[in-house]
Amino acid sequence: MRLPSIGLLGRILLILAFVLATEFVANTLIFDRASKFALQDDEAHRMAEHIVVARRVMDRTPVANRPAVARELSTTRLTVSWHRGIDTQSTSFSLSGLRDQMLAIEPALFEAKLRLHLMPLRQGGDIAGSVELSDRSTMIFRAAQQKSFWPLTVGRLVALALPALLLALIGGLMIRATLRPLRGLMNATRMVGRQEPAPLVERGPKEVRGLIRDFNVMQLRIHRLIGTRTQALAAVGHDLRTPLARLKLRLDAARLDPEARAAMIGDVREMGDLLRSLQIYLGGEGQSLPAEKIDLAVMASTIIDSARDEGHDVFYDGPANLETWARPVSIRRAIANLVENAIHYGGSARLSIREADDAILIQVDDDGPGIPPDRIESALQPFVRLDDGRARNTRGMGLGLAIVQDAVRAEGAALSLVNRPEGGLRATIRLPHRQPFGGG
Amino acid sequence: MTAQTIILVEDDPGLRTLIARLLQENGFQVRTAATAPEMWIALENGPPAHLVILDIMLPGTNGLDLCRQIRRTSDIPIIFISAKGGDEDRILGLELGADDFLAKPFQPRELVARARAILRRGPMTDGHHARGRNAFVFDGWTVYFSRRELRSPSGAVVDLTGAEFDLLSTFISQPMRVIGRERLIELSRTRLSDSSDRSIDVLVSRLRRKLAAAGGEPPIITVRGVGYMFSAQVTPA
Repeated sequence: MRLPSIGLLGRILLILAFVLATEFVANTLIFDRASKFALQDDEAHRMAEHIVVARRVMDRTPVANRPAVARELSTTRLTVSWHRGIDTQSTSFSLSGLRDQMLAIEPALFEAKLRLHLMPLRQGGDIAGSVELSDRSTMIFRAAQQKSFWPLTVGRLVALALPALLLALIGGLMIRATLRPLRGLMNATRMVGRQEPAPLVERGPKEVRGLIRDFNVMQLRIHRLIGTRTQALAAVGHDLRTPLARLKLRLDAARLDPEARAAMIGDVREMGDLLRSLQIYLGGEGQSLPAEKIDLAVMASTIIDSARDEGHDVFYDGPANLETWARPVSIRRAIANLVENAIHYGGSARLSIREADDAILIQVDDDGPGIPPDRIESALQPFVRLDDGRARNTRGMGLGLAIVQDAVRAEGAALSLVNRPEGGLRATIRLPHRQPFGGG
Repeated sequence: MTAQTIILVEDDPGLRTLIARLLQENGFQVRTAATAPEMWIALENGPPAHLVILDIMLPGTNGLDLCRQIRRTSDIPIIFISAKGGDEDRILGLELGADDFLAKPFQPRELVARARAILRRGPMTDGHHARGRNAFVFDGWTVYFSRRELRSPSGAVVDLTGAEFDLLSTFISQPMRVIGRERLIELSRTRLSDSSDRSIDVLVSRLRRKLAAAGGEPPIITVRGVGYMFSAQVTPA
């Protein structure tokens, strides 16, 4: 049930038209209200009589005495003054309702050319007006602010402020609604390449719909591109394993001098390790398995025991038991990779586990050269090796830390690398305490 | 002792020939197959087979499906060999009822050693761990054979190395009985590169430490001069 879109320009024009219409309606209402304004009958009577009497008195008073007499005629409710010429006060808010009311009470005021208007708010917002004397001079009067005028003043304030407020609100809502599809697009852009592409619903103005359509196409293309590359790499990793297995069997059967055989077996093993790290990196090993309750301390000491069996200088410092929730395969891989790195670059590894307030800290220290501070960031990138050309003794493809980073992220944990002041690198996994989903 | 028969299912001709030769040189009778249909033929013709070595990636029916089909009718031991090294395949394979899992490229000696270990374990464990009952409980601990997994009384996964798990399996299969150190070494040879008295003692002490971790007394008693005894009641889960 999608309506044909009128486009961004159309929308903005519509918003403008709406705003103008609102302002027009609001103004009309204010004028209408002022013109229909009427005083209670007795008050109108009193005012009309006062004006008629004052006019009559002023008419018979010599011109020289008029200002003084005008002062005499003034009461607290109605101030009277005299003006030599014709009334020139602005009549932006003419009170035709009240005028009709007063003319009905005192028809004489019609001949006197009664004019009534509302004074600007900054001058008190009173009702003011004038009548003409017989010599065409003007008597001006002004009714002092009274309780009965109050609704008119408040009404005017609200009426003046309302359109502005209403316009701000409506404009804001309309622009928000217009931009909402763009916000969805923004969020989706952030996720491109990180998860399965989910096409966005095309909605909003024509231009935005077009943008979303193009984005969907692009998203799919990027996903396919990543997919093809990943598949190609995985296929290489996979397809090389069978020939490597053959090579191992042939080596085993071949007549070779033991030293050469050992070297070749070492080479084949290295190739196997390369492929394995590639497959783990591409496959996100174990991340599709659910989190389970695990004994992290036993896991750590098992990794250390195995490394010690291979003759490495490794040490575990931590509790004998520490149960928590994590994906066993990926967290085991992360710790093992850090230990392997420490052994490889530092010659030794000290793995320690301790509990902080809100997290478990898994630390691996070594006595190696550490990482230059400006290269720590890139050390976490896949396929980056930190050895320079002359000391290229790294095995693996530079995926070790990238695999750790992925595994750690999947656990909602954080990985940090710092050079210890006393030398060597310290890698820390900060694993938040976690409960099983749904408490089960 | 008559030669034991192994069915080898591998679609790569070169690898098939090489593995077959390796196994024959180590005293096994080998019948080979490249596909699922060929495997059924190899299984049903000739003297009864004792072990199936199964590649996971096969044309047509893959190794995992084949394993499932075999398990419907037969308890014959199965070793998977896979070009995918991932633990997910390993866990899936073992869960389907395979007895072991080797990632390509494997050490030839390792394949022979695992085959021997499984064939040797067969008669010893028969009757006690009949297939289908793949979990056992002692002192609140649970051992899952299909996944080669140990869980603490509180339900946490407790990591064991392959050698430690094999040792625990041996103990569980013969509870309340003194097992000689020599016998333990022989049974654990597949996992230990140098199986000496010392390494079996190290292995036992590590297993004890893990079983003691939950606070209780580990149920492995040293019988001086002879070997060890597993002192807990073992019941099928």
